[in-house]
Amino acid sequence: MTKAHISPAVELRGVSKTYGSGERGVTALDSVDVIFPAGTFTAVMGPSGSGKSTLLHCAAGLDRATGGEVIIDGTAVGGLSERALTRLRRARVGFVFQAFNLVAALSAAQNVALPLRLAGRKPAPGEVTAMLAEVGLADRAGHRPSEMSGGQQQRVAIARALVTRPAVLFADEPTGALDAASGREVLRLLRAAVDRHDQTVVMVTHDPFAAAHADRVLFLADGRVVDSLAGPAGAQEIAVRTARLEEGRTARLEEGRTAEVRS
Amino acid sequence: MSLAWHMVRHRFAGFAGTFVAIALGVAVVAGSTTIYLSSRPEAPERYAASPVLVHSPSVGKNSYGEPEYASWTSAEAAQLTARLAALPGVTAAAADPVFYVQRVTGGRPAGDPAAALLDGHAWSSAALGGYRLAAGSPPRSTGEVAVAGAAPGSRIDVLTAAGPATWTVTGTVDGPGFYVADPVALSMSPGVRVIGLTGGGDVAAIRAAVGDAGAVLTGRDRDSLEPAAVTRTRWLGAQLLIAMVGLGMFVAIFVVASTCALSAAQRRREIGLLRAVGATPGQVRRLMYAETLVVSVLAGLAGIALGALTAPLLAGPLVRAGLEPAGFTVTVQPLALAGSFLLGVVVALAGVGAAARRASRAPALDALREAAVERRAMTPVRWIAGAVTAAGGLALLAKMPSMPVTDQSTAGLGAAMLLLTAAALFSPVVIGPLVRAVTWPWRRAATGMLVREGTLVAVRRVASTAAPVLLTVGFTILLTGTVATIEDVQGQEEVEKIPAATVLTTDGAPGLSDAAVAAQTGTSQLPTRVLITAAGGTAGHDVAGAPPAETGGAGVVLSQALARELGAPTGTTLELRWVDGSTSRLTVRAVKAEAGPGILVPRDLVRQHDPAALTDSVLLSGAPVAATGARAMSARAYVQADIDEEGDLIDLFLLVLIGLTVGYTGLAVANTLLMATAARRPEFRALRLSGATDGQILRVTSAEALLAVAVGTVLGAAVAAISLGGVRAAVEAELDRTVALVIPWAAAAAVITVCALVALAATTVPVLRRVRSGTS
Repeated sequence: MTKAHISPAVELRGVSKTYGSGERGVTALDSVDVIFPAGTFTAVMGPSGSGKSTLLHCAAGLDRATGGEVIIDGTAVGGLSERALTRLRRARVGFVFQAFNLVAALSAAQNVALPLRLAGRKPAPGEVTAMLAEVGLADRAGHRPSEMSGGQQQRVAIARALVTRPAVLFADEPTGALDAASGREVLRLLRAAVDRHDQTVVMVTHDPFAAAHADRVLFLADGRVVDSLAGPAGAQEIAVRTARLEEGRTARLEEGRTAEVRS
Repeated sequence: MSLAWHMVRHRFAGFAGTFVAIALGVAVVAGSTTIYLSSRPEAPERYAASPVLVHSPSVGKNSYGEPEYASWTSAEAAQLTARLAALPGVTAAAADPVFYVQRVTGGRPAGDPAAALLDGHAWSSAALGGYRLAAGSPPRSTGEVAVAGAAPGSRIDVLTAAGPATWTVTGTVDGPGFYVADPVALSMSPGVRVIGLTGGGDVAAIRAAVGDAGAVLTGRDRDSLEPAAVTRTRWLGAQLLIAMVGLGMFVAIFVVASTCALSAAQRRREIGLLRAVGATPGQVRRLMYAETLVVSVLAGLAGIALGALTAPLLAGPLVRAGLEPAGFTVTVQPLALAGSFLLGVVVALAGVGAAARRASRAPALDALREAAVERRAMTPVRWIAGAVTAAGGLALLAKMPSMPVTDQSTAGLGAAMLLLTAAALFSPVVIGPLVRAVTWPWRRAATGMLVREGTLVAVRRVASTAAPVLLTVGFTILLTGTVATIEDVQGQEEVEKIPAATVLTTDGAPGLSDAAVAAQTGTSQLPTRVLITAAGGTAGHDVAGAPPAETGGAGVVLSQALARELGAPTGTTLELRWVDGSTSRLTVRAVKAEAGPGILVPRDLVRQHDPAALTDSVLLSGAPVAATGARAMSARAYVQADIDEEGDLIDLFLLVLIGLTVGYTGLAVANTLLMATAARRPEFRALRLSGATDGQILRVTSAEALLAVAVGTVLGAAVAAISLGGVRAAVEAELDRTVALVIPWAAAAAVITVCALVALAATTVPVLRRVRSGTS
């Protein structure tokens, strides 16, 4: 840990997620305990089907856990109504998805202002422009998503996620649909948000190079956190760990222990 | 709101279906109500110069609830006229007897037969219209006339209730109608019902002078003197307009609802994104309402413009079709336009309601899901709504036989609307098994498999396309089937009554003159109207004058039904008030199962009290003798001509209503398919990458479209069959006999073909366009 903070941005206590029920039930998360301290950049990795996306959805309040407790910025989300949960998300959580991040009808500036507008707040003068300037797109404020490249769209999405100064920003494979150069730019922006503004970032990825930008890497397999790497780790080290996980999983599958997990 | 505005501006194509549906719906409603409101009763033109009119007293109501009037006798009319003329400020008072005169040119009666019934007037009443002599002098004795378009001194051939005559023109008038000397007019007319005043005069004084001998009408009240025939024409037109408004609204809601549902399903990802970045379900719902509000306000404005501009163009065709009186003009009706606009907005918001509720409950996670597989198509709300509408429709059908005849057609239409809605709501349940059954023979071919699986995973899309087809097919079969069934029964009934014989009937005239009837060997009845006062009050009845042999001398014969209604068995004495205002006391000589229209009275009495009465037809027992305004034909042809005349009008109604439905739903089918096909771009790309040729893709999309049309057809036909069964039961209950159901195969086939063609075009065009510009 490079920084010491008192309260974590997000905390998961014994969180489980099961799809379906009874014999046919599929366990995606199996009693996971994780703390995402404020002001840190965490990467979540794992083979396809390991439950990393489910972890992100539950931690972000997009999906409800079937067991355990999720605490976002000091608020337990389990007991919240859909409306209250939406409000919490709007105020304290930012999202960047792999694709389809922007409302096609709105310009870049309008997309960035959207969370504020939805909260019934008029953006302060210059607030949106400053946000766009931070991601290097001040000159694109009036452009529609269809008039921008994929990398630019992703940067607008980051600006939108950060405009509310959320307690935590969740990124789900933010570079998955981008070329290498654009991907690097997006990761640089996420890193800068942590370094410069003490932003908390949680990123799901399967790309060791992307994970190398994080302060800590968590490895998931079969719905459990099975490994972690602290401090800036090299992409190579991360790749080795990932490969080891894949092998272990394959070996277990061959033993016949079917652990079919939805991602 | 500004978000909604951006959404609409950006994806206007997605809202085009709603826009067009609302714009057309508003146009139909705005146009219809404009015409409806323009068609208010108006005092006849010939009372234009008479600010105060006095009408004879009303004595009870007829079976339609319209007032029945008693005429003043000639003596009463003369007395009242003299009294009114003497009032200060009154320039003149003129009794207005009306009788039948028709100009004969080239041996044939000319002009509109129905209008000719009201063309004969007394000379003094010409002043009520402000008509003056342009040349010559007023008519003074029998055989003299003042008329427009003939020089004084010339002679004209006319036809009256008595028979053909040649009149001498004494003067040329600058207004329509035939004006004869006052005593002559009184002797030819069936009594006086209106006295007009020219000049001014104190209305209160006039009221006092009239007392309870009549009603004083001024200003707009004078409009109630519109001739019944004109009012009936307006009423016919109003029926069509009302049906158009009802159907237009229903179809608009239907189309908007299905378009919105499909568009919401297609926007799941976008809505999920909004939810993820912090839109509450309420905000999503409000966004969708706001979008629809924007679209419907624009569409409403376009619609009222379209309606207001089209309505005046329809005046001519409506007059020609006999649905509006001659001289009808459309005026601007701000109320109609404002109301239609509001209605359009409300209909649109109602239509989007279900889709908005559904979309607002979509979890934020939908933004992240790739899958095209739909969630459950049947929701609990859908089940409940379907069950409620189905139960309502069936209950209405079951109750129909016990309803008054006048309410039955409305009930039938209402039941059909409910059942069609139920069928549309339940369609996802039926689509699965239906698709499996239909595609079974082709299950091994690639196309068959793709169609089958593609349809089964997108039940909602298929339901959206099938819904308008269902509506069109259901309505068409039901409307045409009902009419055909009833016409078939009527034709049988009436033709059965007519023996194989020859009939003398009218030819360009509204009825047969006495001269034409007297020349024939045969039997006939002379119809008129009388007021009969019985225990239940005074009521108007149609009666027929028959030869004394049939009425037992100077007595009357009643039908069983009427004898029961009046409480008048054989031997009672009835007091009949004739149209000329005089009364006769006649004894009931006999009660028979049937007696003409209900009462038979001596023909001479009818002629004596109603000089303008005309005979409808003569059942000939000898060779027909030629007479002006008459021709002979077989009894069967005579009845058929009668039925055909009515049938023509009904066919026109059907054409308009079905045209409206087909036009609307064609639009809906095209719209849903265009939307759905456009949204399937990635799916087609995947198919092409898997080696499908463009031809194969076209085959798949065409087959899917046709499948949706087939589903709609089956469901629509099922609903129509159920409803038609209800209609048949109602007709059977009324006629007390079994009735054959006539199924309009031709109309159904035509409508289904139109739907199929529209569906094919709407899927093929976007696919082909992509093929040409395609880079997959």
